[in-house]
Amino acid sequence: MCCSRKTSVTPLGGEDGTFDYDLAVIGGGSGGLACAKEAVNHGARVAVLDYVTPSPQGTKWGLGGTCVNVGCIPKKLMHQAALLGESIHEAISYGWEVPSPDAIKINWSALTEAVQNHIKSVNWVTRVDLRDKKIEYINGLGEFKDPHTLVATLKNGTKRELTARNIVIAVGGRPHYPDIPGALEYCISSDDIFSLGHPPGKTLVVGAGYIGLECAGFLNSLGFSATVLVRSVPLRGFDQQMALMVTNEMEERGVAFHHKCIPLSVEKLESGQLKARWQNTETGEQAEDVFDTVLMATGRYALTKALNLPAAGVTAVTGSGKIAAQTEQTDVAHVYAVGDVLEGRPELTPVAIHAGRLLARRLFADGLQHMDYENVATTVFTPLEYGCVGLSEEAALDRYGEESIEVYHAFYKPTEFFIPQRNIRNCYLKAVAERGGAQRVLGLHFVGPVAGEVIQGFAAAIKCGLTMEQLMNTVGIHPTVAEEFTRLNITKRSGKDPNPASCCS
Amino acid sequence: MSKAICKGLRSPIRSLINLRRAKTISTSLVHNETILVKNNEEFVNKVMNNDKPVIVNFHAEWCEPCKILTPKLKELIEPLDNLDLAIVDVEDNAELVHTFEVKAVPAVIAVKNGLIVDKFIGLVDADMITNLIDRMSGKKKPS
Repeated sequence: MCCSRKTSVTPLGGEDGTFDYDLAVIGGGSGGLACAKEAVNHGARVAVLDYVTPSPQGTKWGLGGTCVNVGCIPKKLMHQAALLGESIHEAISYGWEVPSPDAIKINWSALTEAVQNHIKSVNWVTRVDLRDKKIEYINGLGEFKDPHTLVATLKNGTKRELTARNIVIAVGGRPHYPDIPGALEYCISSDDIFSLGHPPGKTLVVGAGYIGLECAGFLNSLGFSATVLVRSVPLRGFDQQMALMVTNEMEERGVAFHHKCIPLSVEKLESGQLKARWQNTETGEQAEDVFDTVLMATGRYALTKALNLPAAGVTAVTGSGKIAAQTEQTDVAHVYAVGDVLEGRPELTPVAIHAGRLLARRLFADGLQHMDYENVATTVFTPLEYGCVGLSEEAALDRYGEESIEVYHAFYKPTEFFIPQRNIRNCYLKAVAERGGAQRVLGLHFVGPVAGEVIQGFAAAIKCGLTMEQLMNTVGIHPTVAEEFTRLNITKRSGKDPNPASCCS
Repeated sequence: MSKAICKGLRSPIRSLINLRRAKTISTSLVHNETILVKNNEEFVNKVMNNDKPVIVNFHAEWCEPCKILTPKLKELIEPLDNLDLAIVDVEDNAELVHTFEVKAVPAVIAVKNGLIVDKFIGLVDADMITNLIDRMSGKKKPS
């Protein structure tokens, strides 16, 4: 039983007692809101606590969580802005008369205003939705007082206590800052870039995970020179052959990469610019350069410290601060967790939403279904996008062994790239499959335009147990880039040239 | 159409009026300035209890179509002395937004003698706006 502590002050709900709410959700982001909304659909009384502690640079935002405010949404919009800038130039080769192409440049404040206006509209619709669904929204930082009691500290310092029969922790995470001089004082993170009050200028991005690469990617395309410091490898955890395609493309577009380098310090100069020093961990060599902006993208940490989990009796917290909860249930029966705060789960909005909904159904609608975290498709929105679903080649080799795996691969040339003579060197895809029988597909990987759109449908196919036989028997749509999956026929094992001879045959 | 709207929206109006049971003041503004609604009380006093019909415009700063519609409404209504314009910023007036079930902006509600007589959502064309204004200011017969 969870309520083993005796309190003399506030009466707890107890066995048959009345709690203020059937469900209290800490965190109004993708996972928290989805869980809350599903819960009210099944008659629960729900409260959502949401609070944004300002970033070191002072940035804050409204209801909706990371995705809406400083993640997926603004990221995709800026990626789109970058692509459109490229399109204007490509259009010329298709016959469009564009006056003074050299004068085309991005108005950073117009871009951020448009992006922020959209975000605000989403914040508002979210609030209206919560109100309509009669979900109580408390704009306060929540923490546990005891297993069933939360205390929310509002912006003006006042505290509000509430009790709940069930509690879901959906607090997500925030950017991590390296412990070096100047990091907190002078550097920004993804929390700040999408509303930056001045054009970023020449930017150093520290970190080569998807956040660092996506930011460096769109900044470079928008006309701001970008340099990336890579500590170990780019896109660690992703298929490394594909990660190399992505970074090759970025390099060919002018993004500078410094591999095996860690930041040492960031200093502010009289000019207002920033001098960053870094060190190559292999050679020991140090280097420095002056930038207008330094963006830290060195990982994210879960916001569990502020929750006072010991007061709830929750001990299933890993060294990284995340919560270990295989079925979203912590070691305290009525306390659950969804989203980025969970250990060992993909940190993706659709994962949090799906898991949140299924959890609400299990709690309030006799639901039995558990979240399947396998074969979740995702996409890295670098200038040339990388979409994937299932196992990387390395993971498949590890799990099944080289003899039991077959990898089909190909380079391809998107039809639309010919006329503007766009670089096709990194347009590549592969299917990792079981070697025997019908060759069940274990993973699909695609680098190219609109990779997210390409991969989505295949995620459903993999869920159905897609085999190479079925894939090869699927007739492609022509001319598209997605059809390249249906044309796969060369294996890595054969050693044959995966470059295309010509289109159509 | 207006009858159906009146029916559906009469109860929220009642509940809104109940928010302020104190003596209601009937106002007719001397100058025809646009009413900037900051709270429920102001809304009840200056819109619900207005002798003149009022066009209520739900507006948001982050909404591009609002930035087109709101100035247009001001331009058309300010010169009139028998019709008022009230602007409700949705960020500052969450209760009003909820009461009038405003799910999208811009939203325009026409109020006459404390009753809703018309409503439209989104940036509609100039004809619809002038049509509504003409009807509300008595220039045209109600449809």
